[in-house]
Amino acid sequence: MRQIARPLAVAFISAGSLAFELLLVRLFAIEHFYHFAYMAVGVAMLGFGVTGTVVALAGQVSHTVTLRLFLWSSGAAAAAFVLVPFAVQATSVDPTQLAWDLNQWLKLAAVYLLLALPFSLSAVTILTGLTLAAARPGYIYGASFLGSGVGAVACVVSLWFLSPVRALALPALLASFGFAVAALTVERAHRARMMALAMMGAALLTLAVSPWRLTISPYKGLPQVEAYPDAQRVAEQSSPLGWTVAVAAPAFRFAPGLSLGFNGAFPQQTALFVDGAIAGAVPEVGSDAETSAVLDWLPTSLPYSLGPAERVLIVGSAGGLEVYNALAHGATHTTAVELNPDLVALSRTGRLMSAERDGRLVWVIGDARGYVARTRQSFDVIVLPPAGSLGSATAGVYGLAEDFLHTIEAYGEYLNRLTEDGTLAITRWTSLPPRSSIRVILTAAEALRRLKPESVATGLVVARSWGTATVLVRPAGFTESEIESLRAWAAKRLFDLDWYPGLSEPAIRYNYLEEPTLFLAVDAAVRGPNSSRRFSADYAFDVAPVSDAQPYPHRFLRISSLVSLLSSDRGSWLPFAEWGQIALVATLVQSVLLAGLLMLVPAAFIRDVRSGTGWLLLVTYFGTIGMAYLAAEIAAIQQLSLLLGHPVYAVAIVLTGFLASSGVGSICSDRWAQSTTWKVCTGLTVLLVVLAFTLLSVVHMLQPIHLALRAAAGVILIVPLAFLMGAPFPMGIRSLTGRQRSGVAWAWAANGFMSVVTAPLAALMALELGSPALLLLAATAYAVAAVIGRAGQLRYLATPR
Amino acid sequence: MLLNSRRLLLGLAWLAAAVPVPGQDRSATHEGRRQAMVDLIEHRGVTDSATLAAMRAVPRHEFVPADQADRAYADHPLPIGYGQTISQPYIVAYMTEILEPAPRMKVLEIGTGSGYQAAVLAEIGCDVYTVEIFGALARSARERLDRLGLHVTSRHGDGHFGWSEAAPFDAVIVTAAAGYIPPALVQQLKPGGRLVIPVGSVYGVQNLILVEKDLDGATTTRNLLPVRFVPMLSGLR
Repeated sequence: MRQIARPLAVAFISAGSLAFELLLVRLFAIEHFYHFAYMAVGVAMLGFGVTGTVVALAGQVSHTVTLRLFLWSSGAAAAAFVLVPFAVQATSVDPTQLAWDLNQWLKLAAVYLLLALPFSLSAVTILTGLTLAAARPGYIYGASFLGSGVGAVACVVSLWFLSPVRALALPALLASFGFAVAALTVERAHRARMMALAMMGAALLTLAVSPWRLTISPYKGLPQVEAYPDAQRVAEQSSPLGWTVAVAAPAFRFAPGLSLGFNGAFPQQTALFVDGAIAGAVPEVGSDAETSAVLDWLPTSLPYSLGPAERVLIVGSAGGLEVYNALAHGATHTTAVELNPDLVALSRTGRLMSAERDGRLVWVIGDARGYVARTRQSFDVIVLPPAGSLGSATAGVYGLAEDFLHTIEAYGEYLNRLTEDGTLAITRWTSLPPRSSIRVILTAAEALRRLKPESVATGLVVARSWGTATVLVRPAGFTESEIESLRAWAAKRLFDLDWYPGLSEPAIRYNYLEEPTLFLAVDAAVRGPNSSRRFSADYAFDVAPVSDAQPYPHRFLRISSLVSLLSSDRGSWLPFAEWGQIALVATLVQSVLLAGLLMLVPAAFIRDVRSGTGWLLLVTYFGTIGMAYLAAEIAAIQQLSLLLGHPVYAVAIVLTGFLASSGVGSICSDRWAQSTTWKVCTGLTVLLVVLAFTLLSVVHMLQPIHLALRAAAGVILIVPLAFLMGAPFPMGIRSLTGRQRSGVAWAWAANGFMSVVTAPLAALMALELGSPALLLLAATAYAVAAVIGRAGQLRYLATPR
Repeated sequence: MLLNSRRLLLGLAWLAAAVPVPGQDRSATHEGRRQAMVDLIEHRGVTDSATLAAMRAVPRHEFVPADQADRAYADHPLPIGYGQTISQPYIVAYMTEILEPAPRMKVLEIGTGSGYQAAVLAEIGCDVYTVEIFGALARSARERLDRLGLHVTSRHGDGHFGWSEAAPFDAVIVTAAAGYIPPALVQQLKPGGRLVIPVGSVYGVQNLILVEKDLDGATTTRNLLPVRFVPMLSGLR
């Protein structure tokens, strides 16, 4: 009984931990901004690492004490999953005040400690479980992996039915089950069993009375629009894709880049938000004339000035504003692709439903890249509106804010789906200094060059309003009469045409920039790829086109030029421009400091640690495999999310596939000879190197096939890798059998703390170098582990104690 | 371990002691802090003497909540309630300078907030009209401006429609972020007038934009710098 109960308890506790971690990611993404989601991962790993240090420092404990620790840590973890959210709510942190309010730092530190507590307690359960099953660590570690996989699936499923705050009952409930099962491993534990039942009751109670009240940053869109007079929340949906809210507010107006020349009335609109951030606007029923009038004065109407467009594809149609626009301009077949079904449901009002009925409109719920790869249809106009992908990108399901809609490969696929005279129209907000609009220009030019090199000079037009830039790409090229139409249309609306075929010098008349940067960018792109590369290299920000291997089109800061930018006159622009990347660097620095402070400093005071190189080799082995696992997992999730085309499927299949396969690998590893550890690590090195160079090509090749086949292919790609990745940790632990117990604890601490450091490091590496580099990092880390394993150096303290 | 815990507690106590305590050393230092704040603004490139003199004179600490008074002269925005903020002093100075203010110039401000921006313009001698959407903020700003003896015409209303009864204006200053440039504000600008407004994505970083209407009534825009503001609201509250 105990043989099953112990790993089962570990599995439940691990499931609770992972569900809690994923829910924290969701809650931080909703309450604050996307970047705070990293904090959740960091906090979880920090909690795990601290446990290792504490147990190592505590030294030898008896078997009875270990048994009791196993039981009561699981109970304390279950209680912490219930109580910690209450305590965090009581410690209200305002991250926007961190720059000047020291109190906020103290509160943030308190929140960190509070949130780390349940993870620490869970780690005690797993660690003591490993200690109690020293001969078969793979059995316990495998159970932890499998439990984590179940926790991931349970969390994703729960978010279809519950809001993230109510879903917090799930980790508490799972951990309570773990406590109850752990109570079966100890004789005469009646009190623990009763308490476990009470804990389950408390967890269920939090379903009704949620411990967490959503406190959304006042700088996010939702609280601001809800402060409008007579604003009313009219709909609210929750799914793993995000928390979607519709707010009807008479004073709400959404018109990206509206012409200064517009004099008409505004139609009523309903605001749509995903995770508290604006995702679009729904024109209300009965205001068709007003809606059409406004739409014609938006920059996104530019492609329609070229003539009738019968077949239109809208990529990221949140709210339906651009769908209205296409219909208003006479499109007879409009296809609107949107990933979030809740946004589509809220957008389906009056006229759009009528258009659906008469066949003029088709909604496609799914990923635009996947749709474009699969469809055989051609379109006269393909539209990427300014807020097209934001709703999805900020949904918080991804561990990294990648966007596959604005890569060279993506633009290439859009161009391939155009009719002979078709036009791709991409509109972006113009940041200051211009960044995203320039990247769109250079990416579009590169995609056009790959498709039809001779069209680069004749197939690009760039229009700019006071706040947006619209890039038109037409492989067939623009005729003189079409250029005249565009010029007349833009001039009437006080928009500048920064570029059109034949323009030889900047011709800005209405909206002045300090420099005619957009003209210079297209001019460089038209001159050729070398000129384009030189332009990017000389620009203050990184505006070079991005590929699917490094899908971060919204990243513009070169970390290498951070110091020179800060010391320039415009250093003060950075906090506005690149807050996310700076926060990530700060997180990495903080993680390194914390890991050093909480592991290396205490270790320095331990005599046994100081006495030789054994400890260093031990922590290097477990540290490198911790780093390798996380780096490989992040890279695989990123590349396979392109294959699966849906963040929920990606998380569900990739994360669960990873954890479950690793769990099985871990359990199997108990039967493998100790001496094969280095072979496993070497095998992983080879596998990861192969994947680094081939995975993305395989993904591109498989993209057009059916989802079920893609999912199966994803699993096949993951399983061998993840299976082997489950083995190095328990095999390493097994080599410590019979030696000082603190060796296991240090191994645990090293693994946990290296994961703390790897979470932001991997994110930064993916941003700076791309996901193949992450796979190579993981390969290198396993190579180091192989060398240590081969040398048989996992013998921290040679004498058994 | 115990020793380490004590060290940790001492460290936390030291950090707690470093937190400014409201009420400490307040009135004696406001003047000095204000001068230092304006010196910093001048150092950062604002040169308009009227703007700088006005900011040296207007007691900014009167425009922030009492518990924020110690931070009133630091160069960052502060919350003033209702999810609104008093802008960073540098931005106030920068936007004021952009307007090229002069005595008797007729200026419309959208977003009274605490009343600080209106006070700076009034101190320069401008004929200031200011509109605030939040009734409570409009009332408290009105009382504050009266108490300080600054002549400002204010009202509780919807900034999107400007102030047509008092139009046209030599300048319009919008101190809350708008999702687009409201047509009414451009229309209520005199030929030769200037409008400064933070626009762009309402829910992220906005670009500070200068709209100029030439003597023929033609409008042009100029992107100045990125800023963050609370959004401009419409309708009454």
